[in-house]
Amino acid sequence: MRNKQKILIADDSEMNRAILTEMLDAEYEIIEAEDGTEAVAALQKYGTELSLVLLDIVMPKMDGFGVLMVMDQHRWIDDIPVIMISAENSSFQIERAYDLGVTDFINRPFDARVVHRRVVNTLLLYTKQKRLIDLVTEQIYEKEKQSSLMVDILSHIVEFRNGESGLHVLHIRVLTELFLKQLVTMTDQYPLTQTDISMISTASALHDIGKISISGKILNKPGRLTEEEFAIMKTHSAIGADILRQLPFHQNSPHVKTAYEICRWHHERYDGRGYPDGLKGDEIPISAQIVALADVYDALTSERVYKKAIPHEEAVRMILDGQCGVFNPLLLECLTAVSESLPEELKQDTARMDPEGVKELTEELLRRHEITSSERTLQLLEHERMKYSFFASLSEEIQFEYTEVPSMLSLSSWGAERLGLPEMIMDPMHDDQVCSIADMESIGRLSKLLRATTPEQPNVQYECKLSVGGIERWARFICRAIWSSDMPPQYMGAFGKTVDIHEERLRIEHLEHEVAHDTLTGLLNHKHARKRIVSQMKDDPGAKFALAVLDLDDFKSANDTYGHMFGDEVLKHSANQLKSSVRGNDIVARIGGDEFLIFLKYEKNLEAIMDRIFHSLLGTYKAFPISFSMGVAQTEIAGTDYPGLFQAADHALYTVKRSGSGRYCFYDTSMQEGNVTFSMIDKVYEEDGRDDG
Amino acid sequence: MMSLEECYDALGGNYKAVLGRLSSERIVKKFVLKFLNDQSYVLLEQSMQDKNYEEAFRAAHTIKGVCQNLSFDRLGDSSSRLAEALRSGWTPEADALVDEVKRDYQETADAIRAFQTENGES
Repeated sequence: MRNKQKILIADDSEMNRAILTEMLDAEYEIIEAEDGTEAVAALQKYGTELSLVLLDIVMPKMDGFGVLMVMDQHRWIDDIPVIMISAENSSFQIERAYDLGVTDFINRPFDARVVHRRVVNTLLLYTKQKRLIDLVTEQIYEKEKQSSLMVDILSHIVEFRNGESGLHVLHIRVLTELFLKQLVTMTDQYPLTQTDISMISTASALHDIGKISISGKILNKPGRLTEEEFAIMKTHSAIGADILRQLPFHQNSPHVKTAYEICRWHHERYDGRGYPDGLKGDEIPISAQIVALADVYDALTSERVYKKAIPHEEAVRMILDGQCGVFNPLLLECLTAVSESLPEELKQDTARMDPEGVKELTEELLRRHEITSSERTLQLLEHERMKYSFFASLSEEIQFEYTEVPSMLSLSSWGAERLGLPEMIMDPMHDDQVCSIADMESIGRLSKLLRATTPEQPNVQYECKLSVGGIERWARFICRAIWSSDMPPQYMGAFGKTVDIHEERLRIEHLEHEVAHDTLTGLLNHKHARKRIVSQMKDDPGAKFALAVLDLDDFKSANDTYGHMFGDEVLKHSANQLKSSVRGNDIVARIGGDEFLIFLKYEKNLEAIMDRIFHSLLGTYKAFPISFSMGVAQTEIAGTDYPGLFQAADHALYTVKRSGSGRYCFYDTSMQEGNVTFSMIDKVYEEDGRDDG
Repeated sequence: MMSLEECYDALGGNYKAVLGRLSSERIVKKFVLKFLNDQSYVLLEQSMQDKNYEEAFRAAHTIKGVCQNLSFDRLGDSSSRLAEALRSGWTPEADALVDEVKRDYQETADAIRAFQTENGES
């Protein structure tokens, strides 16, 4: 049992839609749209699955003519018949509708039998045509294949005399086609259809048939030709043209005419100094100009009896420099544009005709009647759609699809529900609900990434925050850009999914934090402290910094006397004291069992600062007296190389330790030599009468 | 009990014509009753009040279309004239025509409602 054909009814009056539906829904599946934009959305969604559109003219947001223009833009108008239904009956409106490709007009009031018959007739007509198209396409493909085959064989015979490998003919065909395709994308000056291009490429194979009348001695001479020999050689273009002119048949065939042009004038030069007729500029047919260029390129890059092969880049350069004749500047632009892909293209087996080319050909030949999808394709499409919906519903992911024109976002049902959005949203960038979920800056960046992709590498991954139900969570977008198959490819939209990675992200952030910090005290560990220190010094090259290394005096005894748990508490306590004695940007770290590090920036009066810090650390913790020894090094004296700076502080610390602990001192250069000079303030810790040393 | 044909007479419509086109009395009845739910008239009133003449035009045009389909000739005629008057924005005739459409709409709605109650179709 076949599926019902789908009909789209676009009319803003519910009443009218209802009446038409009443007349048609027994046999057809009816899809309704109440204004132009909904109609376009339905067209976007169903594409050529729609067999017919019943379109009103007067509708809000976008009227019937607007819809027709969009259909024209996308070439849907060629595939989907439109019957205009309207109370408008001015001949001006009717003509306008027909101009835009409308198939038929039904006036109000609707007569059930008339509507029914018209719809059936239109559908019948289009179905028959679809079947015919397939048939014709097959035939055309075969015919083209046959004719190029014949031409190739014959020209090979001709070239054989030159000792050519036969690849020459193939190369000329490929080059001609490449240049022509490039030319039409670059300018409107030479209006060529795909049919024309195909014909010129085929005819190009005959360009040197005149050589059949040139003696083998001249053709295969390994050295330079004498003037006389060259004059004889030059006659091959006129001779080839004469051969074609004398064909007793096919004189009016465009193939023959083109072949004649190419044969006779493929040695003309753009500046008029070519042969045989000295044509100048665009007096030379474009087909001959192109073949001339192809011929020169192939001659340069192939091995010949009289020369070796020249590499691709050099050949291109020579041509662009004007060393091999004068060409139309547009053609030189074409050469430059396709230059990169030339070597690849020539390598392929290009004796076959490409299916894309055939398709375009067929389209042009059967303009008004062709349809690009057969029934089987429609069925496949239907299956794909079912599969997609089914899997989307299983996966519990937010899957989406976005198209540029019209600007529309579609979500999977699960996704829509999850985000609290409708399944289809027109113009999502300006939709309030969408903006409340994702901030426009992030979406803007994602959009940029997608547009920067290429058809070969269309995938993008991107992470940002989404606000769902008022809660912000991290999400990862995994998506793929959709590129059209034109040249150059156009960005059409994207599809993909978003996955919630919030927990994962939090975990990573947490782990990163763990790695950089000491677990017991929560201070930075040495490795990460060093990183930050080096970075701070680099960012601020003129500033003054100080690095201090300190250790807890008699820590071992705390552990021995009171146990390791107590020792840990002491460390934690000291760490907290340290943290609160410095400012936000200063760096504090635990670099050893009972060793710490401070790094800070200062303007002046470093002594006062270090003094304050040092004293804030002293005190007792649960009756255990806390005493520190500290060595301070300044970048002004010790430099900004980290190992050197650290060592300087260390030296200073060592100096303190050697002379009794419980105080601090500043590094100076004399310490390096092992001399101990007390150049700082001598503070003896005396609160509880403990001895030093 | 009022018949559908009598209802059509009351609202100035052409019952024979519509029956010819839609072929069954059941279908005609269905849509006549549906007419009461059509929002176009409400939209017309609102947009005239808001001086949104573009929407008023569309509303009048829609009413005209529906009336044509249902052969509500009287209302269809006045709404058609109103639509033309509003096609390019407000014109002096428009206001008077709005009143006429209003009257015709009332009569049409009343007739249908009468048909509805008498035939137990509410």
